[in-house]
Order: sequence, then C-alpha cells, then structure tokens
Amino acid sequence: MEKAYDKTRSAGKNADGKTGGASRRIGENSDKQSTSKQLIAVVFILSLATKMFLLPIYLIQSTGRDAYIVLAVMCAFDLVALAAWIVSMRLSPDTDFFTLLSKLIGKVGAKIFVAFVALFYFFKLNVVTTETLTFYSDNVFADFDAAIMIFVLLIFLAAVANHTLRALGRLNELLVPLIVVCILILGTIVVMTGVDVFNVLPAMREPDSFNSALFRHAAWSGDFTPLALFVGRTQMKKHTGKIAMTAGAVGTCVAVFFALVLCAAFGNVPSLIDSSTNITSILQYSIGNVYGRIDLFSSILWSVGAFMETAFFFYCTARCIAFVIGRNNAFWIALGTCVALYCTQIFAMTDPTIFSTVVTSAAAAVTVPIFTAAIPLLALVASIVERHRSGGKRGGHADIKPKKPSYGDDGASGADACENAADGGGAKR
Amino acid sequence: MKKLSERKKLLIYKVLLFVFAFAVAFLPATASRNLEVNSRVVVEMLGVDGSDGGVEVTAQYVMPTETDGATTKDKVTVEGKTLTEAVELLNTALGRRAELGQCSVVVVGSELDPSVLGTLMTATDVTADVYLTAATEKAKDLVGDMTDFMKKSGATDADFIAYSAKKAHIATVTLLNFLSDLDSASGTAFVPVVEMLESDDGGGQEGEESKSGGGGSGSAGGGGGSSGSSEQSGMKVEKLALYGKTGRTAVLEAESARGVAWVSAPIEKGIVTADVEYGGDTVEAVSARLIKKCAEITTDAKNGKATVRLKATLEPNGDKFNLLDTKGESASKAIKSAFADKIRGEIEKAFSDARAVKSDPLFIGRTFYRYAPAYFDSEYSLDKVKVDFAVTVELK
Repeated sequence: MEKAYDKTRSAGKNADGKTGGASRRIGENSDKQSTSKQLIAVVFILSLATKMFLLPIYLIQSTGRDAYIVLAVMCAFDLVALAAWIVSMRLSPDTDFFTLLSKLIGKVGAKIFVAFVALFYFFKLNVVTTETLTFYSDNVFADFDAAIMIFVLLIFLAAVANHTLRALGRLNELLVPLIVVCILILGTIVVMTGVDVFNVLPAMREPDSFNSALFRHAAWSGDFTPLALFVGRTQMKKHTGKIAMTAGAVGTCVAVFFALVLCAAFGNVPSLIDSSTNITSILQYSIGNVYGRIDLFSSILWSVGAFMETAFFFYCTARCIAFVIGRNNAFWIALGTCVALYCTQIFAMTDPTIFSTVVTSAAAAVTVPIFTAAIPLLALVASIVERHRSGGKRGGHADIKPKKPSYGDDGASGADACENAADGGGAKR
Repeated sequence: MKKLSERKKLLIYKVLLFVFAFAVAFLPATASRNLEVNSRVVVEMLGVDGSDGGVEVTAQYVMPTETDGATTKDKVTVEGKTLTEAVELLNTALGRRAELGQCSVVVVGSELDPSVLGTLMTATDVTADVYLTAATEKAKDLVGDMTDFMKKSGATDADFIAYSAKKAHIATVTLLNFLSDLDSASGTAFVPVVEMLESDDGGGQEGEESKSGGGGSGSAGGGGGSSGSSEQSGMKVEKLALYGKTGRTAVLEAESARGVAWVSAPIEKGIVTADVEYGGDTVEAVSARLIKKCAEITTDAKNGKATVRLKATLEPNGDKFNLLDTKGESASKAIKSAFADKIRGEIEKAFSDARAVKSDPLFIGRTFYRYAPAYFDSEYSLDKVKVDFAVTVELK
C-alpha cells in the first residue's frame, strides 16, 4: 500500500510538471487526490446507477407512460447540480469542501451544516442500499434472506470507508469498462429486438399525475452530491470539466433511454410492473424468449454500478461524521455507520411499504432537493469567495501557511481532521 | 525482478474482473444443475381454462428419472378458485415444486377471462416473454394432445412457437405484448390458434387445411403411428383468435390471420403464393419467399383516414417464376403486381373481418390515439374510420 502511495506521489509530481506542485506547496495531501479519469468515471456511474433500479418502476406505477419524462426532469436538475460541482472544482482545485465551508461560515457553522449533510447522505445511503438489496432479493437471490445478504454489502462498505478516496476512485475506474460493455449489450438487444418505443405516445395526457409523480419522487435526486469529496482533491486538467459533464449527460441519456423502454413496455399496463420486472428482463419487453437470457446476465454485471453508488454515499457519510466529531477514527466510524445502516435497513427500509412511505413522503420530497441544490451551491459560493479573497488565484490559499500533512488519528486537530475527513480517513496509512 | 507498472497492474485487474464476473455468472448454474433439476419439476407448457369453479390449469412437465440424463414428459390438470390457488395445487399434485420460470408456452382456452393472464404474469414465476397460443376449445385437451404427440415423436422442446415467431408467417404474441395490446386504445389482442393434425390411418396426412392461406402458415406433421385409429400427426398454426377485454371475440381464418401477421407481427420469413396474369394467360401459384417487410400506419385526423403501408421484399422461386422471368420487365411488373394484390387482399380481409366483430388487430385505433389523441377522444370510431392499404413489392 505504501508503495502505491509512493507511485501516486510521483504521478502527482509529473502531473504538476515539477517537483512539488501547487497542492504540495500548501501542504495538502496531493498524493490522495483523485485523477481526472476517476472523476469522469465516478460521474458516469452516479448519473445512471440507481436511476435504473426501482425509480422507473415507481414512476411508471405513478404516472404510466410519462414516467421517462419525470425521470428526465429529475436528471436535468441533477445535471445542473453537477455543473455547479464541476465549476466549484475548477475554482478550487486545491482546497477541499470542508475547508471551503470552514472558511466561509466558520468552523462551528461548518460542523453544524455538515452534520445535516451527513444525515442527508445517510438517507440517500439508505435509499440506494434498499434499491440494491431489493434488486438482488427479487431478481438474483430470491431465496436469500436480506438480513444476511446485507452483511456482504456492509463488509464491502466498511472496507471502502477505511481506504482513501483515490482507492475508491480506482475501484470505480476498474468497473466502468465492465458496466459500459453491459450497457452496450443491453442497448443492442433493445434496438435489435424491436421494442415498440412509440408506445410512450401520447405524452402528458394526465398532467396532474405527472406533477404528483415528480414531487413524490424528488427524494431520488441528489445522485451527484458525493462529488463534494472531489472538490479540491481532483487533478483538474484542461478538459476534465467538459468531459465529466459529457459523461454525466451520456449516463443520464442512458438512464432515460432505458426508462423509456420500460414505459413503452408497460405504458398500457402500469399495474403489471413491480420490482421484479425491471431492466433485468429487458428482452421480455420485445420479441420473446428466442434469444435466451443474455439480458439478465448483462444486467447483473451492470448492477455493480449500484454497489459503487452505495459505496460513495457510505464514504461521504463516514467522512462527514469524521469532520463533525473532529476525530478521524475511520474504523470506528465505519463500524458505527454500518450498525446504523443495518438497523434502518432491517427494521424499516427493507419493508417495501415503509420504504415507499418514507421515500415518497412530503418531508423527503422537500428536503432532498433542497440539499441537492444547497450543497453544490454552497460549495460554489465558497469557491468564488475563496478565489476572490486570494486575488483571483486559483486554489485561493494565499492566506494559508504551508503545513505538514497530518497523518494523525486520535490526536488530530479540527483542521487536520477536516482534511483527513475529505481525504479518506487514516486507518490505512 | 522488474516490477509491474501501475498501468499494467490495472490491465491485469480488469482482465481478472471480467474472468471473475463470468465465473460468478456461470459457475453456480453448472455446479448445481443436477441438484436443482432433481428437486423440481420443470413445467414446459401451461394450459389455462376458465371453468365454473374458477380456473383450470393443465401443466405439461418434465421430471428427471433415475436413468442419468433421462426425463419423462407428462401432464397434470388441477382446478382452483383462483389462478394462484391452482398454481399452488400444481405443487401438491406433482409432489415437488413446479418450476414455472422455464415455461415457454401458455395455451389459452376459449372460455378464459383474459384478466387471468395478468395474474399469471404478476403472481407466478411465468415470465413476461412466454408465448401465448390459443386452443380451439379447451386448453386442457390441446396440452394433452400435444404432450401425446411429443412423447410419440420424441420431440423434447415445447417451445415450438418460438420457431414460428421468426421463421413462419404467423402472428405470434408474448404474454406481456398480449396484455399491453389488450389495454391499448384498440382494446384488441390476438393469439395464434394451434390445432392438432389428425390422421385416421396413421399415415401422417396433413389434411386439406394446410393448403389454404395462399402460401401456407405454420403446420408441421410427422409420420408414424398405428393404423386404424385417430392420432395426432402434427400441429397446425393458421388461425388467429381475437380477444377483447371480456374474452375471445372471434377466430380469424387463415387468410385474414396472414393479413394480421403482415401488419402487426414481426415476421421475418414466410411464403407468398399468387396467380400471375401475363399476356392474357394466368400462371397459377407462383411462389416467393419473404426476405423482409416493413409495415407502417399513418393517420390523417382531419379526414378521419388511416393508411396502412407495407413494403415487402420477396425472392420468387420455382419453375413458374423462372419461366416468367425470361419474358422481360413487363413480366416482372406483372409478378410484382400479383404479389402486391395478394398481400393487399389478405390485409384488407383481416381488417374487414375484424371490424365486423368490433376488433382492431391492425391497431388503427391505437395509432390515432398515439398521434392524434384529441381526434381519438372526440370523433374516432372503428366503424367509421376510412382505411387505405398501400402495398409495395420489391423482387430480389
């Protein structure tokens, strides 16, 4: 592991073009930064992972063949938030999200705000986890008890929280080609087997149910909020922002396209769709079973994307907690979060009725979009203010003295903990 | 020893990841196949009938025997107040779990309420892509006859209709598509009718019916069988059962069924036979093979008119065509015209026969609903709508 870090340091130097780049000068942990490739891969995964699970099904049940339009509107909202994140990363390539917040609203204010953000992440984590568990319990391991199945996921999540953001990004980078291949297979199947996509017409026949579906499912927005951890931690090259936006837009188009296929298949019979009839059985919506079940195989492989989104939300939750408590005990924070997640999942969210009631409640429908907009907006404002303070210099660290990177655990100061929080804990150092 | 670069490591990880993914996907199935098959009964075909007491379900199943790799095929019928109850009774009747996920054909009886099929899709393991076929009367009888025929002929695959879906001129339909069509603005769905070919002398004669339909739909027969008794010598799929929301409304004969297949089914193969008039003579039964077809329905809400357009690419064959082909361009035009007339006639007959029973298997109403919803809501009526048919034939 240590050698890997050494290599990363070298890469960081090369990327800066000289020994000790801008980030090294200010004493931050440039060796833990995510690469631009990793950022692009993360944006792509976040843009489509959970948008292809239960959400299209709930939307079809609510508003029938217009579900894909509702999804498109929600995706557009998320893309605006993504743009804000990318601009924020551009303006503040060296200062992380927590430091920016601390400078803008003070340490105490930042901690209070981040505590709420942690709750938001935890809520989103529960939504994504329930989706993943439902997918596997309904489609893959029908006879497997969710209370046991979740342990596999929790071990994975705990392991993720004990590693760095770079490690998570690297894992994501490994999986993206697999996911892209599976999506291409699914897309080819759809095109070749002739789903009657025009069955989504006519559109917007029932505006009331459309508006209701849009409001009730607003809790599914905010998929790009984990990008908070990438602010100030990512090597932003010249075209990274544009490519990341493109990746987000492409991922969104893929999600909307598959939702459109579902709408075309179930637009006339929305009552027949349930959690077991999702994108995994895309071949069933067209010609018949003459091609075997390559779609199921591809879908299961593709579904690892949802694992990654779950991991990102878990990671964000753990990092926010670390910042709030001012201690960077990655192991204990991960363990505590796992216990909390297990309790909420097993005693509440895996019950479809409770899950549906909670996620489509008015409180969730109002709160989640507010956070989805507020977090990147605040990051953007903080970046602008910081840049302004530093006289237009990117990075805005004119007033910060270089300091030794903090690798401490229990004894870390608030600022150190904040940096380590953004950095990915310290258990593996 | 030279250490691997990070790029190479990543490449190795990616390869290993793909290998792992494929192993995970395939290993459990291959490792546990025997165990699974021995503890379950695989249902290949399901017949569903409406009855006075509720729903009658007949299952053709495959059960493993003690001989390694061998199976027996048989049928069982149960009756329940609801479909879900009947499916539960199947497990009891067979003494093992009836695996419906492998069912490839559902046979629908003439008296069945189509809403039961919605329950079949949502409350059982039957998948949405299972093919539907209709029995002339009772599904139970058809499943029984087919089981007997399969046992006699040694046919192991019940998924015979999947062949028709791609290779024959038959309007096939899956369970989901049937339910979707039925709940569409047209309110009509169709299911191909399967009939057994019977031979009194055991000689495997297919009967006269298979000659009809201007080119033959799907019929398959086999020889063998004992003499002196009526036995199944094959299956015939020519007619089409039309359904409305309350149940079966009519059965279209072979010619009309072919017309529906031209417009509403994704057929890719088939034979067209037409009489060609050329030079004052009539050359009978010139045949051609369908290469590809493209059907489109356009609507004109202002005039309350729809146009069904079909472009078919055919490959003529046989000595009669060869003879005409030597006579130049004018003969080619005559052949095209004859085939186009034949196809147009089949489509027109399908539309008029279906309209007579207030059914719309060409989905004219659905097209108006999609592209002119206001007109559909206010003025559209299947009885009044004017429909033109434009058929273009290309010869390969």
